[in-house]
Amino acid sequence: MSNFFLQALSEVGSPSVMGLIILGVLFGIVGGSIPGFTVTMAILVVFPFTFAMDPVSGVSLMVGVFVGGYSGGIVSGVMLGIPGTPSSITTVYDGYPMAQKGEPGRALGIGVMASFLGTIISVAVLVFFGPLIASFSMNFRPWEITALIIFALTLVAGLSNGALLKGLLAGALGLLITTVGYDRNSNLRFDFDLPALSSGFEMLPVMIGVFAFSQLLGNIEKMRDGNDGGKGVDTNVSIPYRQIMKDMAGQKLNTLRSSLIGSLIGALPGTGGTVANFVSYDQAKKFSRHPETFGTGTPSGIVASEASNSAVAGGAFVPTLALGIPGDLPMAIMMGVLILHGITPGPMMFEQNPVLVGAIYASLLIGAVVMVLCNLLLVRWFAKISLIPQQILVPVVLMLCAIGAYALNNNLFDIWVLFIFGVIGYLLWKAGVPLTPLILGVVLGNNLERQLFRALELDPNWLTFLTRPLSALFLILAVASVAFSLYQDRKLKRLKPATNN
Amino acid sequence: MLTLTKDRALALALLLMVAVMWVESGSIRPPTSWQPYGSALFPRILLVTIGLLSVLMLIRSLFTRVTPVASWRTEISDWFTRRKTVVALFVMFGLYAALLPLLGYIVATISFLVASFALLLGVDTKRKWVINLSISCTFVPLVFVIFRYGLNVWLP
Repeated sequence: MSNFFLQALSEVGSPSVMGLIILGVLFGIVGGSIPGFTVTMAILVVFPFTFAMDPVSGVSLMVGVFVGGYSGGIVSGVMLGIPGTPSSITTVYDGYPMAQKGEPGRALGIGVMASFLGTIISVAVLVFFGPLIASFSMNFRPWEITALIIFALTLVAGLSNGALLKGLLAGALGLLITTVGYDRNSNLRFDFDLPALSSGFEMLPVMIGVFAFSQLLGNIEKMRDGNDGGKGVDTNVSIPYRQIMKDMAGQKLNTLRSSLIGSLIGALPGTGGTVANFVSYDQAKKFSRHPETFGTGTPSGIVASEASNSAVAGGAFVPTLALGIPGDLPMAIMMGVLILHGITPGPMMFEQNPVLVGAIYASLLIGAVVMVLCNLLLVRWFAKISLIPQQILVPVVLMLCAIGAYALNNNLFDIWVLFIFGVIGYLLWKAGVPLTPLILGVVLGNNLERQLFRALELDPNWLTFLTRPLSALFLILAVASVAFSLYQDRKLKRLKPATNN
Repeated sequence: MLTLTKDRALALALLLMVAVMWVESGSIRPPTSWQPYGSALFPRILLVTIGLLSVLMLIRSLFTRVTPVASWRTEISDWFTRRKTVVALFVMFGLYAALLPLLGYIVATISFLVASFALLLGVDTKRKWVINLSISCTFVPLVFVIFRYGLNVWLP
């Protein structure tokens, strides 16, 4: 593996790929800095630019966006008191008060350093556990893979706060979308006599449509409701390097603990940066000798938040690369990128594409270094960019989404797919349906059908799914995750008064 | 009379979709001796799942206390009125998709951006027009150049 890593490092270290990583990181930070834009949106916007690139260049650019995006949320969190991404909510708790005390540079510097260390520690976790899990999952047969996909879908559906039924519905709808067009036996399904539907829906326009429209138009609604949050801010920031080094020296244990929490949570399906953020902030407070200082501008709070949300980046790659099961929305889109470049994530990837796996490791490491340099040197500019109003952002991003959908196959029908799924996604979102299970269903649908029927062709007995230990374990876990969510839903309901649902 | 809530509307819409797709699944080629499970089995499993979950949601919504509303017609018209900007943006995007092959990328996209900025920023001051036109007229050709010459992707 070390030979492949060196080979990957030489490819990633070439000036063109380095340039792409820098561009990706810069765009990721900008995307993360703008409240309501999110890492996922940044990835979706950059995605079409990778079509014409070779896999290493394309993946390096996307990894750059990923690393930059997870760190970018700190800028608006500290400067505006608005989290740029949901995964930097707890950064605001201490970052904003510190900025209000006249130390925005210190808050940003601590956050950036914690982000850097979080990313590095998560890469170590990925390098260690990725191949380990991949080699273990080489023993998985169609029964185990089918059960694992069902488990991942139920887990993600179950994590949709108080909306288990809708989460499960979304997952099933996502799977159903993949059944349109020719199937594995070249039989046509659900084409409604429309030739354009015979090849089915491309994954990318569906994903962009469902996610981007609901997100962007939701931002417009918030803006109309007066929750824009735009307020005057002093963007003249200077970074007190010596003070930051002193602060970080006292945060070694907190950094390590938060990074490990972030990596672990990132590796679990359906969780991601937001959960990591809250869990590590809570743990840092519990372990602190001065818990009363949390929320008033303490470095410990910023470190816990930023180290954990950045560590999600490496952790989230573990199930995606090793099992072919993306853990969260940005990873589902990253998996889409790999599939479009002809690479199937899963246990075989470590054997078939070791250079690409090495390139992902190397891009994460280089991306982390670039992220620190960009953030520290250009933070004043990022703070200014974070003030771009949604009125300007939304039309530009919608236009880029349309061009991205078209550029995939030079097919105008894909823009219609984007539009139709945009309407569907927006309506589902308004009805309180979580969209992550739907997107995960779209990504995993074809594989689920293939594995299910491969299993049944090998052994027509459906009970085999329950007699094979690992397959049975995954199915039991799926049922347990549904039962646990039901229990949580009931608890939530007891706390809620009458609603309009 | 029952109030049309979000959950009930969603459940009914999904049940309608399941019914339509179930009928359509009848036209999928039936199983053969070398394809014993047929191509309709997997989508039908999903349709049954969605149908059952929708029925469950409908039943559950009947037991949920809801705030009574005047009439569902007023509710729907209020919904559209509250979201007229969003609805207008959807319409503009639909028009953009329709006009793209006819007008080509540059004209259609500049028109879409100018109209969307006008809707969201407003058109009441000269400054807003300057922002609107300067972004639209610089961004669209820039993207064209990047895709056409940088990435070798032909735009319509």
